[in-house]
Amino acid sequence: MTAHIEIKDVVKRFGAATVIDHLSLSIDPNEFMVFLGPSGCGKSTLLRMIAGLESVDEGTISINGARIDNLPPGKRDIAMVFQSYALYPHMTVADNMAFGLRNIGVAADIISARVAEAGRMLEIGHLLERKPGQLSGGQRQRVAIGRAIVKEPKAFLFDEPLSNLDAALRVRTRVELAQLRHRVKSTMIFVTHDQIEAMTLADRIVVMNNRKIEQIGTPMEIYSRPATRFVATFVGSPTMNFVPVRVAGGETGGATVILGDGTHVKTAIPTMKLKAGNFTLGIRAEAVRVAIDGQGVTSGTVDVLERLGDRTLIYTKLKDGSVVVAEDIGYSRVAVNDTVSLSIDGSRVHLFDASDRAWHCEEGLDG
Amino acid sequence: MVEAVVSSREEFSSSLAGHKAPPANVNAAQWRNALFVAPYLFFFVTMLVFPLVWGIWLSFHKADTFGVGKFVGLANYARLFGDRIFLLSVGNTFYFVLLTVPALALLGLFLALALNRQTRTAAFFRAAYFSSSVLSVTIVTLIWRIVFVPDFGFLATVYGWFDTKAPAFLSDPNLAMIGIAIATIWWCLGLPMMLFLSALQQVPAEIYEAAALDNANRWQTFRSITLPSIKRTFILVVLIQVVLQFQLFGQARLMTQGGPNNASKPIVLYIYDVAFKRWDLGLGAAASEILFILILIAAMAQYFLTRNRGEN
Amino acid sequence: MSNARSTSIMGRESGDRVVLLLVIALALVMVAPVLWVIGLSLKHNAELMANTNSVFYPPYTITNYINILGTSSVFRWILNSLIVSGGLTIFTLVLASLAGYGFARLNFPGRDILFIIVLLGLAVPEQAVLIARHQIFGMLKLHNSYQGLILPGLSAPFGVFLMTQYFRAIPKELDEAALLDNASRFTIFWKVLLPLTVPAQATLGIFTFLWSWNDYLWPLISGTKKEMFTLTVGMASTQTNFAQSEGLGFLMAQAVFAGAPILILYLFFQKYIVTAVSGAAVR
Ligand SMILES: Nc1ncnc2c1ncn2[C@@H]1O[C@H](COP(=O)(O)OP(=O)(O)O)[C@@H](O)[C@H]1O
Ligand SMILES: [Mg+2]
Repeated sequence: MTAHIEIKDVVKRFGAATVIDHLSLSIDPNEFMVFLGPSGCGKSTLLRMIAGLESVDEGTISINGARIDNLPPGKRDIAMVFQSYALYPHMTVADNMAFGLRNIGVAADIISARVAEAGRMLEIGHLLERKPGQLSGGQRQRVAIGRAIVKEPKAFLFDEPLSNLDAALRVRTRVELAQLRHRVKSTMIFVTHDQIEAMTLADRIVVMNNRKIEQIGTPMEIYSRPATRFVATFVGSPTMNFVPVRVAGGETGGATVILGDGTHVKTAIPTMKLKAGNFTLGIRAEAVRVAIDGQGVTSGTVDVLERLGDRTLIYTKLKDGSVVVAEDIGYSRVAVNDTVSLSIDGSRVHLFDASDRAWHCEEGLDG
Repeated sequence: MVEAVVSSREEFSSSLAGHKAPPANVNAAQWRNALFVAPYLFFFVTMLVFPLVWGIWLSFHKADTFGVGKFVGLANYARLFGDRIFLLSVGNTFYFVLLTVPALALLGLFLALALNRQTRTAAFFRAAYFSSSVLSVTIVTLIWRIVFVPDFGFLATVYGWFDTKAPAFLSDPNLAMIGIAIATIWWCLGLPMMLFLSALQQVPAEIYEAAALDNANRWQTFRSITLPSIKRTFILVVLIQVVLQFQLFGQARLMTQGGPNNASKPIVLYIYDVAFKRWDLGLGAAASEILFILILIAAMAQYFLTRNRGEN
Repeated sequence: MSNARSTSIMGRESGDRVVLLLVIALALVMVAPVLWVIGLSLKHNAELMANTNSVFYPPYTITNYINILGTSSVFRWILNSLIVSGGLTIFTLVLASLAGYGFARLNFPGRDILFIIVLLGLAVPEQAVLIARHQIFGMLKLHNSYQGLILPGLSAPFGVFLMTQYFRAIPKELDEAALLDNASRFTIFWKVLLPLTVPAQATLGIFTFLWSWNDYLWPLISGTKKEMFTLTVGMASTQTNFAQSEGLGFLMAQAVFAGAPILILYLFFQKYIVTAVSGAAVR
């Protein structure tokens, strides 16, 4: 009971505005797929097209080889958990879960068995006779998941299910969801704008922006080899540093880039693939460290310190004025207005050209 | 595997088999969705739209109980404006609106301001002031006739204690309309009060707290905060009452029969007499259309006035 | 509530005394006529003929009320009113709920235009359709029947408007969850949304009942036979010439008896009635 979902060349318009533009995507059986992107980029719309709540203007959607985009929502064998949970306020928890099964005429004993099982699995067995209004936010969210589970669908769709929970509960529920997916064998699609949720839950992430897919990949692929500057910006915290650089060219092996302040940085990005000229260098804070011994490649003045406990983020200004966030240990001795020496890990940098093409480091080249 | 899933699979494949499945678009326009509104629309068309059109049509024809006669063009309207009693009834109606509406709005506002508090006394008075609104026109007029009636009425009795004669509210041509207006204000006061109360309760408390911090006294607070925030409601109340009081009928029919000498005959009573006493249906229909137009003007004024305010 | 306190012009100081006195005085003016009527209803007719001042001292009697039980047509009229108002209320709730759901949630060709036309119906006063309606009902032989008294009220657009607004305010995710739960359109309406509209049903039901109970114009011209009078029309028919009436006390008792049910209803459902009536006005 699982689904291979194939989305082909799908287009969605609301009036004159195109919200999804020729999008194709394949989701494997049992895969936990996360749609990640900023608010308004069309994640929910895509999810709702899979559910049948929005029509598909062009293209096809199929499950296990059979087209479903002409089927009404109830006939697609899919369950959905809404951001607002959408529990039926006048029905008890048990009735909320049983409603869908009753509508297709499942026998009463099977219904109560499944409801009891879901209640046990989600630890809401003692709440079955309550109404949603008498539950806390976290309990409601479990009921919403329970309502999906009892249907034993081929695929689960989640539309930002954690965003209405407070911070602590969100983390706990995230962990529970991760456990749940191993117990419930089914394809899951999860929509979120929160990169941490995406990184922690996903088998693969679809990063969406502005009507289309930016990149599809495993969390580590997305993190370490962002396909576009948008992906690099959107994933990871603090945001990746972007510094304008020049590539000299004419070398073999890793390319050397020249920062605005004249600093040369040897990278592990193959030179052969690059044309000499202007690029944007992307470096995460974790690849820019404060060199205690003063042996760094460049130096900057400290503007702001952010102490996170386990590490310290240091916002520095290089001599040419470009801003770089560097990382230091939790008990960093650095103070504001100090001049610090910075080392850059050339094996963990990225280059982006004007047309937003990305180059990454490769194994075996020195950085 | 459970039956249900199997059955949904079956439908699943049958729709794949190439039968033209209906588009899955759950939001698409479909004729059968109109079935939900059809029952109401049936009554809307037969009981409202059709009679409305027929009424307009009638107003251009000579018609009586025996049937609809020939087309007479604007003759009914011409007769109407030549009829002194019709013109008198239009004048009476405007006079009545002028008597009642300002009083209702101002008294309603006064009561709302006085009773806008969370005490039991205030709640009691609110309930009491609204209670007359639920009575039918028959009871209201009965009550007020027994107040106004000469010799043994309540007013006569009270005046009797001071050895004076009570004003003859029902039989003096100059007072008849005023008498009807008093009964109407007594009857209708609850609604404006309630509308003002709900408007007052929607003014956020923070504004008053801010004003208090700014050392505004009560009169300043009232003028610069309370009044502006109920302006919309004031317009609403006035226009609702104009539309309502334009349709004066029961009170006039039951308290004075429109008399003495038509001095208190409103338009609707004129329509009633012409159409259902003299059975001159064409003329009655024409008078109805005139009333309709007057009310439409008031309704449109309400729409545009409240709308423009909303945009500011 | 600080809000209530500061908007009130009835507060602590000397001006407030005046306001309070005005409120009480006005309340007395409101109540006095009613007390007068109740007083008269508790006196023997003969005593009143001599002097209505006798109201202010005993003996009081309930003879007039007992006489109602034996002789009056009031019961028949109350029954008629109950049938007409009850019937109209039930049918209005059904029609308005169905239509409100349809307009708020379903799409069909011409929906938005239709809704606007229905809203425009709010501006049509009863008088503008009265004469034609009377003719149509005459042709269909519907006068002096319960159908004849109920049917016109079913066209009132207010209920549809109210229910449409109410359905629109219910989150659409509920419908969508139910769609995914294999519910048909009617199941969604009947089992998911309708139970959530109970407050609106109460408001609309009370408003419709009250309006119909007090309606005077249409029952007056359609139900012309004495046994088809509604309470409102029937009460009006008894009071044509009471200036020389011997049965003044009896008449007053009848008025109290006729007014009491609706006042008691008001006391019980005060909150709903106020919401219903002011909701109807605000549209
Ligand atoms: N029913 C609708 N009508 C018109 N525009 C819509 C509708 N639903 C969504 N949109 C638009 O489509 C875009 C994508 O919306 P959505 O899929 O909800 O974004 P996300 O879930 O990624 O935040 C947004 O710009 C939104 O304004
Ligand atoms: Mg969304």
